Amino acid sequence: MPSKTPGQAPGKAIIAIVIAVLVLLALLVPPLGGDYYVHLLALVFTNVILAASLRPSLTCGQLNIGHSGFMSIGAYTSALLAKHFGLPFELSLLSGAIVAALVGVVIGYPALRLRGVYFAMVTVAFVEVIRLIAQIWVPLTRGMSGLSGVPKPNLLGITLTTKASQYYLALGLMLLILAILYKLERSRLGLIWRSIGMADPLAQSLGVNIAAHKLLAFMIGCFFAGVAGAFYAHFIRFLFPPEFGFLMATNILVYNYVGGRGHFVGAIVGAMFLSLLSEPFRGSAYETIFFSIAMLLTILFLPGGLITLPGKLAGLRSWRAASAPSPSPAG
Amino acid sequence: MTASLLVQSAVIGLSIGSIYILMALGLTLMFGMMHIINFAHGAVYMLGAYVIYYVFFQSGAPYFVSFVVAMVLLGVFGYLVERSIYRPVKGGIEPTLVALLALTTFLQAAGYPVFGQLDKHVPPVFEGTKNVLGVMVSVERLVIIPIAAALVVGLYLFINKTKMGAAMRAIEQDKEAAALQGVNVHVVNGLAFAIGFALAAASGALMAPIFKLDPMMGEQPLLKAFIIIILGGLGSIPGAIVGGLMLGLIDSIVATALGAEPAFLLSFVFIILVLLFKPTGLFGYAQ
Repeated sequence: MPSKTPGQAPGKAIIAIVIAVLVLLALLVPPLGGDYYVHLLALVFTNVILAASLRPSLTCGQLNIGHSGFMSIGAYTSALLAKHFGLPFELSLLSGAIVAALVGVVIGYPALRLRGVYFAMVTVAFVEVIRLIAQIWVPLTRGMSGLSGVPKPNLLGITLTTKASQYYLALGLMLLILAILYKLERSRLGLIWRSIGMADPLAQSLGVNIAAHKLLAFMIGCFFAGVAGAFYAHFIRFLFPPEFGFLMATNILVYNYVGGRGHFVGAIVGAMFLSLLSEPFRGSAYETIFFSIAMLLTILFLPGGLITLPGKLAGLRSWRAASAPSPSPAG
Repeated sequence: MTASLLVQSAVIGLSIGSIYILMALGLTLMFGMMHIINFAHGAVYMLGAYVIYYVFFQSGAPYFVSFVVAMVLLGVFGYLVERSIYRPVKGGIEPTLVALLALTTFLQAAGYPVFGQLDKHVPPVFEGTKNVLGVMVSVERLVIIPIAAALVVGLYLFINKTKMGAAMRAIEQDKEAAALQGVNVHVVNGLAFAIGFALAAASGALMAPIFKLDPMMGEQPLLKAFIIIILGGLGSIPGAIVGGLMLGLIDSIVATALGAEPAFLLSFVFIILVLLFKPTGLFGYAQ
């Protein structure tokens, strides 16, 4: 007989051990791996933050295809404040995130009155508007020449000059943000978001202030997208408007879908899996081709995303075992 | 801005508006029936333009033959997309949208290795200029207006006078009831995909001799079409026509006065205002 039923949740202790091992492995990357892996993984962590920060929005049922716009706002705000006013990284990052969240409120307030496709279309248009503003406001952003010379990140007055220290910064930021977002999702607030996502007239009839909660979820997402953008700005140290276009916004959405939207882990799995697997094609057209094929295959054949794959495989095995004429001892 | 410049940008606005209308009509038709937004519309526009490049310019077929080839090829493609993406997802709106998004990025990205990295150009089809109300406008742009108008009228007649059109309207009102009356919902949805794709291909084919061709060329018209159908109300055909004309004129006149980017930003601000005060659009109805 099978010793464990498919789909059964593993114990809390096991989860804690898995997380501890993963973090330990992540801590060992700089001393053991080369600069290449350090750089690559820091970017992967940024993608994880972006993917996870889209979850509040998605949980509320908002098809948000505008997240890279808020990343862009966080990136430019933080970079410009640090470059021109010498603001320490902690403050410039926070300012970038706050400005992104404020713009999120200004855009979200009218846009969130719309549901489904209307909302999705406005977010797509928003990305283009932010990109265009970054392109034509040359005195501020340097436009298509790109904003270069963004200072390296610093913490408590100490500049993080090595890639390894910046990597640890990214890891720390990611873990902190993941913890916050996970706590939020598990709190009463997360429950309200889910209820809005499933049936908002019903949630409203139970006394949930939908408009305010949708806006709050959207704003929280924008805030953390701003954080990711700010880190990206000081890590790459060069900002180019088209980087934060429609394609990036689609990618953030794709991470969530391919990973699976049913559980918080989905965003992390999706971002890690796709960013690492697409690495050989980075920067070429094949990266996008790879992404879109992964996306189409997931939608058509694995609607729950990668996180449902183990359950499906286990289900397949037990179904085979059950339909076999004599139960195999291996189970 | 002088009067003649105003007339000139109004005529150009009318011809750009005609393109926007063709784009928006397919989108709004598909939305009315299936409640989905075809994100791939811009990519189909791009493919329509490339069909003109290869069939008209490279192979030397007559322009109108290439035009029809573009519409038919991409219409068939639209039917296949319904068959292989929309139908398996079983009407789930969000998965369909994301799948169409993936199709869009796929077509755009695949465009670079397939069509080449460099921009392509199609030589002018209609040379010369014509005097309209005392200003000179290129025939290339003028000719778009009657062609687009003919397609719009054709679509109107098809939807209102034929049996298939009646089936489309029936699905738009109530899918289950239509199915109970013997309408084959799958086939009619497939037809809506085919018509939407064919109209997008027609827009791209009309613009091919005017703009340069690159795999991302469909982005701007797609966004314009979004703005139009939000303005006119999703699912509303008159809304798409009026919205398209309005945006074409605003675009052309403001772009002449201030530049293309401010014109786009202005239309976005306009959209936010419309959404604030009339979220269902100017011609829309509450869902």
